[in-house]
Amino acid sequence: MYAVETPPLKKEPVPSQPRRANRVRRRTQRDARTAWLLSLPTLLILVALLAYPLYRMIVLSFQNMRLRELITGLTPPWVGLDQYTKALTDGVFWGVVARTAAFTVVSVTISVLVGLGIALLMRRVHAKVRLFMMIAMMFVWALPQLVAAQAFRWLTDSDFGVLNYLIDKIPGVDFANHSWFVNPWEGWAVITTLVVWAGIPFLAISLSAGLTQVPKELLEAATVDGASSWQALRNITLPILKPLLTIVTTLSVIWNFGLFTQNWALRDSHPEPVYQTLATYSYTQAFGQSRYSYGSAISVITVLIMLGVMVFYIRQMFKIGEVD
Amino acid sequence: MKRKIAVAAALAATLFGAAACGGSSDSDEGATSANATVDGKGKTLKVWLMVDAETAWKGVVDDATQRFTTATGAQVNVEYQQWANHLTKLDATLAGTDVPDVVELGNTEFSKYVFNGGFAELNKGDFENSDTWLTGLSGACELDGKTYCVPYYAGARVLIYRTDLFKAAGIADAPKTYADFLSAADKLQTANAKDKKFSAIYMPGQYWYAAMSWVKSKGGEIATKDGDKWTGQLSSPTSQAGLQEWVDLTKKYSKADVTKNENEQAGIFAQGSGGMFYGNGWEQGSAEEVRKDPNDPTSALVPTKVKGKLAAAPMPEIPSFLGGSNLGVTQKSENKELAAQWIKAFTDAKSMEGLIKANALPNSTALLDKAAENPAIANAALAAKSSWFPPNAEKWADVEKASILQTMLTDILTGKKTVADGAKWADEQINATLNEA
Repeated sequence: MYAVETPPLKKEPVPSQPRRANRVRRRTQRDARTAWLLSLPTLLILVALLAYPLYRMIVLSFQNMRLRELITGLTPPWVGLDQYTKALTDGVFWGVVARTAAFTVVSVTISVLVGLGIALLMRRVHAKVRLFMMIAMMFVWALPQLVAAQAFRWLTDSDFGVLNYLIDKIPGVDFANHSWFVNPWEGWAVITTLVVWAGIPFLAISLSAGLTQVPKELLEAATVDGASSWQALRNITLPILKPLLTIVTTLSVIWNFGLFTQNWALRDSHPEPVYQTLATYSYTQAFGQSRYSYGSAISVITVLIMLGVMVFYIRQMFKIGEVD
Repeated sequence: MKRKIAVAAALAATLFGAAACGGSSDSDEGATSANATVDGKGKTLKVWLMVDAETAWKGVVDDATQRFTTATGAQVNVEYQQWANHLTKLDATLAGTDVPDVVELGNTEFSKYVFNGGFAELNKGDFENSDTWLTGLSGACELDGKTYCVPYYAGARVLIYRTDLFKAAGIADAPKTYADFLSAADKLQTANAKDKKFSAIYMPGQYWYAAMSWVKSKGGEIATKDGDKWTGQLSSPTSQAGLQEWVDLTKKYSKADVTKNENEQAGIFAQGSGGMFYGNGWEQGSAEEVRKDPNDPTSALVPTKVKGKLAAAPMPEIPSFLGGSNLGVTQKSENKELAAQWIKAFTDAKSMEGLIKANALPNSTALLDKAAENPAIANAALAAKSSWFPPNAEKWADVEKASILQTMLTDILTGKKTVADGAKWADEQINATLNEA
C-alpha cells in the first residue's frame, strides 16, 4: 500500500469509426468541464485559505510593518529587499538556520530508523502483541503536540520533575534540581526525544503497512538460497519499501523543519537564543517584537528552503504514478 | 447614535457651561475628558483587565462599575486576560475595529503602545491623586508632556522568609542590613545542610527584576538616554559590581534552576526547601495557600507545607523594582469619554482603598502611608518608597520579549560568560533594540 494511490489511466479504445471518435471527444471535453466544475469549490477555498495569505505575506516581507502601522492601519512603507538583506547578512539568522537544519537531520534520521525497526518488529511478533503495539502508538499519535510537550516539560522539570527524581535514586548520582536546559546539548536531547517519540507512530504504522507489500515468497526464496536476514532486508525489503520510505522521510523533514510547539512549550514560551528554530525565531520577531515584515521575510525564506525539500517529495509522487 | 451624544454633549455644555469651562481650561483639545456628561444608556463598555483583578479584587471592579453605571447609564463588560501572550492578543485586536475601550497593561509594556498611537490622550487633572501618582507607573503614560494612561496599582518586592527555620538556625530577627541578610543565609545554609535541595536564598537564574535591583543598589543603570540615543549601561563598573554581587549570592545560596524565571517561585518555595526568597508582597500568601482548583478562583484555599511559617521584611539596602499596571483608553474606542469615566471611578480614592484591603499597593505616594497600615503590605509600601523602574524607552518591551537580560544572567551563572562579557553582550543587544529605527 502506498500513501498516495493514483488510479491507473484508462486507455481509450482506438475508435474504428470517425463518428464514434467525435462522440468520444465531445464526451471527454464535457468530462473535463465537469471535473473543473466539481473541483472549483475546493480550488476557491484553497486560493482563499492558502494563496491569498501567502500573497499577503510575500507583500508584507517587502514592506516595513511595525506596531504603528498595525494599530493605525497606515500603509507600511515599501522597503524592497531590505528585510531579506537584513536576514541574510545576520549571523544570528544563519545560526538559527543551521540549528534548525541540524535538528532536522538528527531527529529525522533517528525517527525513521527507529520507526523502521518497530515496523520490522511488528511483522515478527504475535498478532496480539502487534495489536497492542498499534493501540499504544495510536495513543501517542492522538496526543496533541502541546499536551505532549507540556507533559515532557513536567517530566524534566528541575524542581518537581519525575525524571530527576528517578535518576537521583541511582546510588552515587546527584540529579536533585538538575536543570535539563542549562546545557544546550541536554536541552536539545530532551526536545529531540519528544519529537522522535511523537513521530514514531506515523512512521512505524505506515512502514509496517508498506511491509505487507513485500511478497513472502521472495523472502522465503532468499532464505532458501542462503541469504542472511540482513541481506534479505537490504536487497529485497528496502528496495520494495523505497518509494514509501522516501515519502515518509520527506514528510518528516518537512514537519521537523517547522519545529515550533515543542521547543516553545518546553522553554515556557520564551526560548533562549540556543533554543530558537526558524519557526519560533520568525514568530518572536513578528509577534513578540512587532517586526511583522522581518518575520514575514524569514517565513518566506523558510518556505523556499522547504520547497527545495519538497521537490524530492513531488518527484517521488510522480514516479509512483508512473509505476502504476 | 453619534448624533445623540452630540446633542447630549451640547445640552450638557449649555447646562453646565461654567463648570465645563472651568474643568477643561487647562486641557488640550485632543485630550479625552473624564468629566463630561455622557448619556451612556444602551452602550456597553468593553474593559480588558488582567486576571489579578478577578482573583484578588473583583469586589473593587464590581463596585466601581456599579457607581459608573449609576452615573452614566452605560453597562460594562469586563474580560479578564492572562499574562502569557496577552500582548499578542492585544496586537491582533487593535489591528481590527472591534477593540476594547479600556485596556490594562503592565507598566513596562505601556510605552510601546503609547508611542505607536494605540492609546488616546487623557486629561491628567481629571483623575484623583494625579499629582502624586507613583512615577514608576506614570512614567510610561507620558509622552511629550501629554498623558495617555492612568496608574492603576503597584507591587514592590520584599524579602519573604521562613520564621521556623530562622528560629532553628538561631537567627533572632529579620535582617536589617545587607550584612545581616548574608549572615542569615550562611546560618540557614549550615543548619539545613542535610537537605540537598535546600536553597538558603531561592533565586531563579532568569529573575532579572532581582538582578537589576542589585545593579541599582550599587548605583548602576540598565540603560540611559542621551539626546535621542539610548546606551546600555550594564558594562559600567557600578552595574558590573551589582551584577557580580547578585551572581555570587545566587551561586552560593541558591539551588534554583538557572533557566527558570520567578513565575513559579512561590509554589516552589511552598515545597519547603527554601529559607528566603525575594518576591512581591502578595507572594507570601501564594506560598502559604493555594486554590484547590487552580483554574477556579472561587475554589477553597488549601494550606501548603509552609502555612503560618512565613514573614516578610524589606530587603535591606536593595531598592525594589516597582511593578504594576496602568489603564488606558484605546485610540480606536468609540466610547472614549465613557471609558475615561470608568477609569476615573476605578482609580479613585474609594477604589484604591479596596485595592489596599486586597493587598495591592495604591497608585499614589499620598496613599502609601495608608497602605502601610495594612500589615500584609506594610513592607511592600515601605519598599515602594525606594524603588526603581526600567528605562522608559519606546522599545523597552522588545528588550523584555527578546529575553536579553534573562539570557545574559543564565550565561553568567552557568559560566558560559564572565560578568564583563555578559554585560557587554547585553549592552550591545540593548543598544540595537532600543535605538532601532
